[in-house]
Amino acid sequence: MPPSQLKQLKASLRDSGVIRPQQSKKQKRENAKTGASAQNRNQRNAALQAIRDRFNPFEIKAPSNRSKFEATTRDGPSTTAKGYRPGVTKSLGEERRRATLLKEMHDRHKTGGLVDRRFGENDPTMTPEERAAERFARESQKKMRKESMFNLEDEEEDFKLTHMGQSLTLDGKTLDDFDAEGLGGGESDDEGSRKRKRALPEDGEEEEEEDEDFIDFGAEGEGNPERKKSKAEVMKEVIAKSKFHKHERQQAKEDDDDLRDELDKELPDLFEALRGMKAPPKQDEPAQQDLAAMNPERAAMMQAPEQQDTEKQYDQRLKQLTFDKRSAPTDRTKTVEEKAEEEAERLKKLEDDRLKRMRGENVSDDEDMADDDKDSFFAGDESEEEEDDAMAFGLPTSSTVPRPADMGVEDEDDFVIDDDLVETRSNVSLSLDGSDVEEEELSEDDEPDVAEQEDELINGMTLPTSTTETAVGITQSATGKLAFTYPCPADHDSFLEIIQNVPAQDVPTVVQRIRALHHPRLKPGNKDKLGRFAEILVEHIAYMADETEEPSFAVIENILRHIHSLAKTHAINVATAFRARLREISKVRPLNLIPGDLVVLSGISTIFPTSDHFHAVSTPAHLCIARYLGQCNVEDLTDLASGAFAASLIVQYQAISKRYMPEFINYVLNALCNLAPTEMAAELRAFPPRKIAEHLRLESSKRNSSRKLQFDDVIKSPVDSKTEEELKMSLITTFASLLGSSSDIWSEKSAFTEIFTPAQVVLQHISKSFKNKVLPVKSALDKINAHLSQAHLTRRPLFLHDHKPLAIKSAIPKFEENFNPDKHYDPDRERAETNRLKKEYKREKKGAMRELRKDASFVAREKLREKKERDSEYEKKYRKLIAEIQSEEGRAANNYEKEKRLRQGKR
Amino acid sequence: MPALVESSKKRKSVKNGGAPSKRRAVAEEDTFAETLSKIQELENQIAESRKHYNNIATLISMLNVESSAKEPELAVAVSLCRVFSRLIAAGNLTESNRAAENEKIIVAWLKERCLEYQRALMAIMREADPSSQITALTLAMRLVKERITHIPGADNNIWATLFKDIIEAIVEANNGQDLQAEFVTKFVKEFEDVRFFTFVQLAEYADVRRSPETLDTLVSILSSCDDAPAADHEFESFFVPRETKTKQLNSVNAHKKRAQEAWLAILRNNLSQAQRKNLLRIMVHNIEPWFSRPELLMDFLTDSYNVGGATSLLALSGLFYLIQEKNLDYPQFYTKLYSLLDADLLHSKHRSRFFRLLNTFLASTHLPATLVASFLKRLSRLALNAPPSAIVVIVPFMYNIFKDHPTCTFMMHRTIRDKDLAADVEKHGMDDPFDSNESDPTRTNAIESSLWEIETLQSHYHPNVAAIARIISEQFTKQAYNLEDFLDHTYQGMVESDLGTGERVLRKTPVVEYQIPKRIFTDRLLEEDGGVDSGPAAFLRELWDF
Repeated sequence: MPPSQLKQLKASLRDSGVIRPQQSKKQKRENAKTGASAQNRNQRNAALQAIRDRFNPFEIKAPSNRSKFEATTRDGPSTTAKGYRPGVTKSLGEERRRATLLKEMHDRHKTGGLVDRRFGENDPTMTPEERAAERFARESQKKMRKESMFNLEDEEEDFKLTHMGQSLTLDGKTLDDFDAEGLGGGESDDEGSRKRKRALPEDGEEEEEEDEDFIDFGAEGEGNPERKKSKAEVMKEVIAKSKFHKHERQQAKEDDDDLRDELDKELPDLFEALRGMKAPPKQDEPAQQDLAAMNPERAAMMQAPEQQDTEKQYDQRLKQLTFDKRSAPTDRTKTVEEKAEEEAERLKKLEDDRLKRMRGENVSDDEDMADDDKDSFFAGDESEEEEDDAMAFGLPTSSTVPRPADMGVEDEDDFVIDDDLVETRSNVSLSLDGSDVEEEELSEDDEPDVAEQEDELINGMTLPTSTTETAVGITQSATGKLAFTYPCPADHDSFLEIIQNVPAQDVPTVVQRIRALHHPRLKPGNKDKLGRFAEILVEHIAYMADETEEPSFAVIENILRHIHSLAKTHAINVATAFRARLREISKVRPLNLIPGDLVVLSGISTIFPTSDHFHAVSTPAHLCIARYLGQCNVEDLTDLASGAFAASLIVQYQAISKRYMPEFINYVLNALCNLAPTEMAAELRAFPPRKIAEHLRLESSKRNSSRKLQFDDVIKSPVDSKTEEELKMSLITTFASLLGSSSDIWSEKSAFTEIFTPAQVVLQHISKSFKNKVLPVKSALDKINAHLSQAHLTRRPLFLHDHKPLAIKSAIPKFEENFNPDKHYDPDRERAETNRLKKEYKREKKGAMRELRKDASFVAREKLREKKERDSEYEKKYRKLIAEIQSEEGRAANNYEKEKRLRQGKR
Repeated sequence: MPALVESSKKRKSVKNGGAPSKRRAVAEEDTFAETLSKIQELENQIAESRKHYNNIATLISMLNVESSAKEPELAVAVSLCRVFSRLIAAGNLTESNRAAENEKIIVAWLKERCLEYQRALMAIMREADPSSQITALTLAMRLVKERITHIPGADNNIWATLFKDIIEAIVEANNGQDLQAEFVTKFVKEFEDVRFFTFVQLAEYADVRRSPETLDTLVSILSSCDDAPAADHEFESFFVPRETKTKQLNSVNAHKKRAQEAWLAILRNNLSQAQRKNLLRIMVHNIEPWFSRPELLMDFLTDSYNVGGATSLLALSGLFYLIQEKNLDYPQFYTKLYSLLDADLLHSKHRSRFFRLLNTFLASTHLPATLVASFLKRLSRLALNAPPSAIVVIVPFMYNIFKDHPTCTFMMHRTIRDKDLAADVEKHGMDDPFDSNESDPTRTNAIESSLWEIETLQSHYHPNVAAIARIISEQFTKQAYNLEDFLDHTYQGMVESDLGTGERVLRKTPVVEYQIPKRIFTDRLLEEDGGVDSGPAAFLRELWDF
């Protein structure tokens, strides 16, 4: 049987040497002196701890995964814990809670009171030493921060009284000594005394002055080398030296400043000299004299604003100078051949770019063009979260475009009529004013090209060096009646005001002048102004075609060319203006193009490349024309004429890219069928028939001559029946020749036969009724016949899917060399990252929940304890009171008994 | 009904008291008040004793409807209604067998007057202004209610006579839109027995050939009736409270049967083309639910389907329902469907509807490839003349079909294995083997053809359409396109997606043509180029004089 616990304890205490025989006092003193006692105490504590552990086997919890066998791993010896003490951690937690949570609990319903904001005061995790250290650090940091705006010195920690660079602090005993020695060296007494006086703290300018005082300090230091300096002295010397150098630098800078000021003062004179004009006599000279006589401070004050002015001026000029171009070596003058070659190369490159854009490829200059285009023009769709197949092709989501509700009109051939069919004049607005998109995108390197082109347009007007000269130039070249200068208009109305009294044919001259007068090189704001002006011009060409009786196309053409040249520098403005017009068309009158629209659309065909796969202006323009051709209502000959114009624009648009437009074919064939003298058999038509008014049919096929169509035909309907018939005839010939040229364009299409067989039938029908006499119809028919037979020859079965077969997905597992089970091998970085985060989150959550639970139980325990305390207190009080009462009662009873007995005794 | 009287009084004064002088207005006011008091007096006398029954005749004569019911005296009508209600409630209008001879005479006389009054009400409903019409309707319905509740065993009789007259009056009413709307909302939708008998009466009424306007009215009344009751519907709201509820009125099937009969009667009538289309349009939602035997619609639907054009398109969905649910055998369905693919289809406003259905019809993988190929080829032919919004539907539709019918993919990719034939094609070219005039989709030989049309559309002027057309020449990696996303696009939508609705800053500088043309409209500086007009817009100048 093992000995009892008590005995075991005693034995182990003795073994570890905690208990030992009493030491004598002498020994104790000895130990205290050598520090052995402290050492002993440490040893004792360690031993006691060990014994406690031994006697409390339940305090240590064994690790849950004991290693059963010895194992050697790459990671070294297993790091499994030797066991941990739940009791200890628990009590630690308890203690911490008592310090924080309990305090909070007690303070819960308290308001007001003092809050100790001293750093670390309420932080139980900090030892007092740490607290003090941190506080000190903070304090010094605060000092480091520059609070005062007048504090120029970097090194200067705070305001200090110094003498000769040395501080005059009270503890500077050594300094005083040194001073006494140093002054005795090489300085005259009175100087020394002066300095001493100065060093007195009454003088407020101490800081400013002190720098001067250093100057001769270095020499002093050199003066007595034999004395061995203490470290502090050396350091002070070094500091003093550096201050001295600093002062010197400042001095030099001030000198420079003075010099510069002087130069500044002379600069106006210099400018005057440069301009070749005499400087005005200085008038403020006497004033200067006065100033000199005055109190210097006052003088300085009076002079200050002037000085500021000149300084400002100077700064401005300096800035201007920095922006001046540096002269660079010029290129060798090129020979004519070289120039021609370069020009040819440039053109070739531009043409290549066009072809690339046509195929929808990225042009080398701007890599991400296609993406950009998609992004910018379908940006609205991006917000749509759900996957839409149609959106992948850039189609708008159908939800955003509600189909028009039932229109009520219903016929066999009812066409999709959009809800915007109804023309509302009220919202016709010249929306151009609203667009103040002014962006200068074109970089300077485009400038030479542009300048060249401009020269042609602003012909006769050399780029002005000064406005007056240009004005003179104009006087000679212009008709004389026109004004020479015009303001740059900010909107179309003001432009109309400007040209109010100008004859139409002189408008281009006015435009030319405005452009010359507001050339971007003349003034910084001119570029924006010209951008606006370009937009106004776009508005104006439409206005001219719409509003004037007989638009002068020479003028429109000239202005279009102006717009074109402006578009090279202000592409965004011009494009925005055109797009605004197109938007207006599509909103207000999609099925009823007015002459202005036609002019704008033909302007687009020359200004913008219509062959591009996607273009911000020409693609919507295509759509506008197609919509008009596809859905318009033909009521009279002017409608047909504008249709013919739109159709010719399509041929024009597609001259290079040769894209197919179904609406064109439909419209032209329908128009021909409806104009033909006799009606065609219905079953011959493969295209959707459109019935139009019967009176448009050509009445007699004989004695009709055709003419070239006029733009007027779009505007005015013919007056009498003869001209009407003539117009019909010419419309027929025009449509026929349109078919002919479109067959040229689309001859390469694989479905040429299908497209043009109906056209062939229609043309045959017409030419039969003319007995093959009308030349354009005949030639168109011949052309189409030739193309059809060619198409027959070249037709082959489709061979579209000659793709490389898709690779079958490999399923071979990927092996990892040096696989480490602890590491994650997720190839997907993002997934790995999220997994890691998830894991961390889970762990944290678990920990936090555990802590919260512990907190809750702690709080509950505390509450219970408090309640018990309260209860027991109450009980105690209660007992006390009871006892008091009882004793009182007892006493009273006794008294009573006594009294009773007394009275009985008496009786 | 003091309120009604009041209102009629007001109306009267407004009607008469516009222009005349104040005094005259006052005088009229007086006479009006006099009439009112007189009416009141007469009415009270009737209530007091039987000997004043002759007042009824006086009142009826005061109704002012003998020659025309344009301006009826509504106060009189209201008071008469009260009188008759009272009499009916008191049982004075029922003759008992045991009653004396003179009693019987009185009852007969009263009945006659009642009939006269009813006729007057009908006349008002037919001819008067809308507000009077509505008042008359309310009064008539009240009479119906009174008679049914207080005369036992009369209900069928009343429904068949009085109510029938009411229905007829409503349908034939002059300017009767308000009246009909009132009738539908106040009575038909509220009370299930009224609805039931409305169906009965309308069926009877529509049995005879009627004018198109009348039919329109009938259709509007019928289609605005409530939805068909569910099979376990409990009938609760009745116009006439009854103790012994007839079985008929409580069965859903009976209701449905009446509605079905009414609809059938209308469908059998001489419908105009527009009405037919209208009916077809509401067929699935408003008509078919009422039919317990939808196959009865078969004749109507097949007839409509055979009409062609938009009517056929509209009939398709109804017909499809019958084929699918009721096992209707429609021979030549696909031939007919094929014939619907004509030049107008892609421009029709029922295009999306048609494509949704076509998608269902061609979904079966058991269809012969030749047939499917014919549809594909026909569609691609049509696409050549179609607006972009239609092309955008057709191509993904084709893609989905190709995925289901891989045999058809020869239309996109064909190598000629026969060497002789290949050489021949190489030498002389080839014709399209597709016969576009053949009406039988199994014989068009379309599967031997190729979809050159779609290949051509790959160079469509609009980049998005071209991009969509390009999917048939790329690898078919996507499982299927969601057709719904491609339906319902319009020019307007496309323009807006290109241009945006408001002014937006262009993100990229648009490219500008690098060369400024020498001339656009005129012959400017033509001699510089030696008189040969070339360069941009030359074509325009060739055709047009500016």
